[in-house]
Amino acid sequence: MFVTLNHICKSYGSGDSRVDVLRGIDLSIEKGEFCVLLGPSGSGKSTLLNIVGGIDTADSGEICIGSDSIRGMSERKLTDYRRRHLGYVFQMYNLIPNLTVRENIEVGAYLADRPLPVEELLHTLGLWDHRDKRPNQLSGGQQQRTAIGRAIVKNPDILLCDEPTGALDYATSKEILKLIATVNETYGNTVLMVTHNDAIKGMADRVVKLRDGAVRSDRLNERKLTVEELEW
Amino acid sequence: MRDPLRKRLLRELREDWSKYLAIFLIFLLSIAFVSGFLVADGSMIAAYNGSFEKYRIEDGHFITRNRLNLQQKRALEKSGVSLTDLFFADLPVAENESTVRVYANRSEVDLACLMEGRLASVPGEIAIDRMYADNNGIGVGDVLTVGGTPMTVVGKVALPDYSALFENNADSMFDAVRFCVGVVSRAQFDAFPANKITWSYAWSYPDAPSTEAEERERADEFLKDFFAAGGLEEWVPRYANQAITFTGDDLGGDRAMMLVLLYMIIAIVAFIFGITVENTIVKEAAVIGTLRASGYTRRELILHYLTLPALITLAAAMLGNLLGYTVLKNVCVSMYYGSYSLPTYVTVWSGEAFVLTTLIPGALVLVISWLLLQRKLRLSPLKFLRRDLSKRRSRRAVRLSPALPFITRFRLRIIFQNLGSYLILFAGILFADLLLMFGLGLPVTLDHFQKNLETGKLSEYQYILKVPVEAMNEEEKLKSMVSFLWYSHEVETETPGAEKFSAYSLNTLGNEGRQEEVMFYGVEDGSAYVDVKMAPGDFMISRSMADKYRRGAGDTFTFTEPYEDRTYTFTITGISDYSGAVAVFMPRSDLNRVFDLGSSYFSGYFSDQPITDIDEKYIGTVIDLESLSKISRQLDVSMGSMMGLVNGFAIIIYFVVIYVLSKMIIEKNAQSISMVKILGYTNAEIARLYLLSTTIAAVVSMLAALPIVGAALREIFHAMLMWRMTGWMYLYIGKREILTILLLGLLTYLAVAALEMRRIRRIPMDQALKNVE
Repeated sequence: MFVTLNHICKSYGSGDSRVDVLRGIDLSIEKGEFCVLLGPSGSGKSTLLNIVGGIDTADSGEICIGSDSIRGMSERKLTDYRRRHLGYVFQMYNLIPNLTVRENIEVGAYLADRPLPVEELLHTLGLWDHRDKRPNQLSGGQQQRTAIGRAIVKNPDILLCDEPTGALDYATSKEILKLIATVNETYGNTVLMVTHNDAIKGMADRVVKLRDGAVRSDRLNERKLTVEELEW
Repeated sequence: MRDPLRKRLLRELREDWSKYLAIFLIFLLSIAFVSGFLVADGSMIAAYNGSFEKYRIEDGHFITRNRLNLQQKRALEKSGVSLTDLFFADLPVAENESTVRVYANRSEVDLACLMEGRLASVPGEIAIDRMYADNNGIGVGDVLTVGGTPMTVVGKVALPDYSALFENNADSMFDAVRFCVGVVSRAQFDAFPANKITWSYAWSYPDAPSTEAEERERADEFLKDFFAAGGLEEWVPRYANQAITFTGDDLGGDRAMMLVLLYMIIAIVAFIFGITVENTIVKEAAVIGTLRASGYTRRELILHYLTLPALITLAAAMLGNLLGYTVLKNVCVSMYYGSYSLPTYVTVWSGEAFVLTTLIPGALVLVISWLLLQRKLRLSPLKFLRRDLSKRRSRRAVRLSPALPFITRFRLRIIFQNLGSYLILFAGILFADLLLMFGLGLPVTLDHFQKNLETGKLSEYQYILKVPVEAMNEEEKLKSMVSFLWYSHEVETETPGAEKFSAYSLNTLGNEGRQEEVMFYGVEDGSAYVDVKMAPGDFMISRSMADKYRRGAGDTFTFTEPYEDRTYTFTITGISDYSGAVAVFMPRSDLNRVFDLGSSYFSGYFSDQPITDIDEKYIGTVIDLESLSKISRQLDVSMGSMMGLVNGFAIIIYFVVIYVLSKMIIEKNAQSISMVKILGYTNAEIARLYLLSTTIAAVVSMLAALPIVGAALREIFHAMLMWRMTGWMYLYIGKREILTILLLGLLTYLAVAALEMRRIRRIPMDQALKNVE
C-alpha cells in the first residue's frame, strides 16, 4: 500500500464543546490509485485530506506514505514532505492574484527537482492562449485548470483535490474531472479527491464513504466510468 | 437600531493594535511637538513684543568719544528726544576668556528683566545675562573675576537691548558663549577707571514713530544734529540694532518650516491610512459585496471604514495637544531660551495652534481617506462578491520575459502589486532622510566650517581701524581734515609683516535674501595675505559669496550704501578661495578711487602678529579666528542640542513607515503565503519572495532618496542662510554621514524585517482553506 491510515482520530474543542471530527479512520490506497472520498458536509472528509496533506495533524493514529510515517514530523520535515510528494487542488483555486497563469504554474515547478515542462503543460491544460493573464481575467474553469497545473507540474506522488468542482458549472466540472483523470492516467499519480457529489464516484478506482467521522464503506469500482459517462 | 458594524471597530483595533499604535504614535509625536512649538513661539513673540514697552527699550543709542556735558545733552534733546546715560565698560572675565559688557543698574530705559536671584546692590556684586550664565555653567553665588575685580553673581538677567548677544552690530552672528552683558550697582560702576568706560547714550522719542520709514527719517534728522555736536563714534538706531531686532526677526521664522514638516508627516500618514483601508476592503471584499447587496449604502460603508482613522487621528490630536501644551511647550521654550536672552514669558494659549495642529491634520486625513474609499467602493456589489476589485478588467499583466528567473519575476510582481505602498515608503524615507541628513549634517558642517576658518584665514589678525566720525563730517571740512590727518599719523605701525588694506562696507540690496553687509577689501599689489593676483579693474568675490549668491566671473552684483539710495554695480572678474566670510577683494587703489577715499587711505592691517603700537581707541574691530567662528559657535549652541531629537524623530518615522507598509504587504498576501506554505515553500523561501521585494524597494528608496534629499537640503539650507542669516556656511555632508544615514535606515529595516519574518511564520496554512465559503 502507498498511503496507509491507521485509526486516525481528530477532534476540535474541549469539554462540552468538543467535536469528534474523525473517529478512528483506517484506510489504504494503492500507488497510482484514483480514490474518491465521499460524504456530506461535516463528515470529516476535508479534515482527513488535510491530515494526509500534512497541513493538519491527527490527535492519534498513524499516516504512512510508502514506508515513511508523517506522524510526529517536525514542521520543517512536513514542509519537505509536501514539497516532494504532494500536489494540492482546492475548490477556490487559491491562485496568487498578482502572478500570471504561467507564473502561477511556475510556483509549483520551482519546488520540483524535475518539473514537467511548463509550456507543454500550458498546452495540455488548454491555457497557452491565457498564459500571460492574471487569475482575475480568467473564468472559473480556467482558474481551476491553472491550479491543477500548479499542482501537477512538479509531478507529485499524490494529488490531493478538495472539492475541485465545487465552484464550477456542470460542463466545466466535467472538463476539470477529465483533466484530473488524464493526469492520473498519464503520470500515474495517486489521486485523493474529496467531493460531496455522489456521481463522481463512478470515475474512481476506490470509493470511500464517510459519515460522522467514520468510514461507512470502502470499496473498489469494478468498472470505472469515463467522465463523459458521469451524470448528475 | 444602531449600526451593528460599529462592534467591529474595537475588534479591528484589538486585532491590529500594533499598526494602529505605530500610526497613533507618529501622529501624537508630530502634533505634540508642533503644537508645543507653536504655543512656545507665540508666547515668546508676545513676550518679545511686549518687552518694548514693558522694559522701555531705547529708540537708539550712540557712542561719543568723550563724555557729553550737560549743555551738549540739552542741545541734543532740543531735537525732540530724551537722552539717558547708558555707559558701559567691556571687561574681560578671567575664568573663561570672555568679555562682559558691564552697565550700571538701569532705571529709565532698557530695564533689566530679572530671571533669577536679585540685582546687584553693593560693589562686588553683578547680575549677568541668563543665557551666557547657562552656556558657561555659571550659577548665582559663583564668583567671577571681572576686569580683575572679583564679583559675586547675585542674579541672572535678560537685558532687552541684548536679546541677541551681538558684541558689535556689524557681527554676522551673536555670541552667547564668549560675550555677556551684566549690571552692577552704581557705586561699583563708578569705581571703574574712566579709560575703560564707553560713553554710550540711549535716546527715546517722546512719541513713538508709527512706521519704520518715519523711524528712519527721525533717526537721520537726529544724526545731522550730532555732527554739529561732534565726537560721535557710533550711532545705532533701534531698527538697525541687531542685538534688539535679530530675535524678533528670527522668532516666528521657524513656524512655517515646522508646519510644512507637520503637514508632510500628516500627508504620509494619511496615505498610509488610505492604503490600510484599501487593504481591508480587498480583504473584506465578499463581506462588502454581501452588505451592499443587502442594501447597505456606499455612504454607510465609507463612514464605517473612515471611523477608525478618524478616531485615531482625533485621539492623537487631543493627546498631542495636551502633551504639546504641557511638556513639549517647555522643551521648545528652553530651545528659545538657549538661543536668545528673552525676558520671562506668559504662556499664550493659541486657538490658531489648535486649528493648525488638530483641525487641519484631522481634515487632511479624513479627506484623503475619504477620497480613496470613495474610489474603491464605487465598484458594483457583484464585483465585490466576485472579489474582482480591479477597475479595468481587460488590463493584462505587465509582460515579463520567461527568460528571467522565476523568483525574479515573482518579486517583480510583488513590487508591481505594491507600487502605491512603495511610493509612500519612498516618500516616508525621503522625509526621514531629510531630517536625518540635517541632524547628522549640521554638526559636521559646523566642524567643517571651523576647520576651514582655521586653515583658510587671511591672517591671524585683521585690525579694522576706527575712523573718528568727526573726521568724516562733510559739513565742517577743515575740522574734519585736521582730525583725519591726526588719525592717520596715530595709526601707523612698526609691527613686522603688518600690511595695510582699505576696507569699505556696502550692503546687498536684500532682494535675493536678507540684506547683509559685505566687506570690501582694497588689497595691496602683491599682498602677502590675500592669495589672488589682481590687476587694476579686478573685482573678486570670496568663495563664500560666490556660493551664497550663486555668482561667477562675468556676472554683475549690485550693492547699496547703508541707509542711502546710492547703488554700485560691479562685474565680477574672479573668485578667490577665501571662504571665511562674504567679502569682496579689489586692488586698494581701485577701492580708494571708487569710494572717493583718497589715494593714501587705508582702514586696517592684515597681520600675523598682534599689533600693540596703535592706541586701542583707534581699533574698531579685531577680526580673528574667534570672531569669525561666532556663527558656528552660536549655531552649535542654538541647534546642536536639538539634533539628537531630530535624529530620533527621523528614526521613528523610518520605523513606522517601513513597519506599517511591510506589515500591510505581508497581510495583503497572507492568503497566497498560506497557499505556498501548503505547496511546500519554506518560511525562508517565502521571506525571499515576499519580504525581499520590500527589502529591494526599501534599499532602492534609501539609495534614490539620498541625492534628492541632498539637493533639497542644500536648497533649504541655502534659503535659510539667505533669508535668516548673514554670512555663509557650506553645508557639508560627507561620506561618513551618508553611510550613517544608510546604515541607520538599514538597521531600522532589519528590525522591521525580523518582525515581518515572524509574521510570515505565523500565517497559518488553514488561512488558504478558510477561503472556501
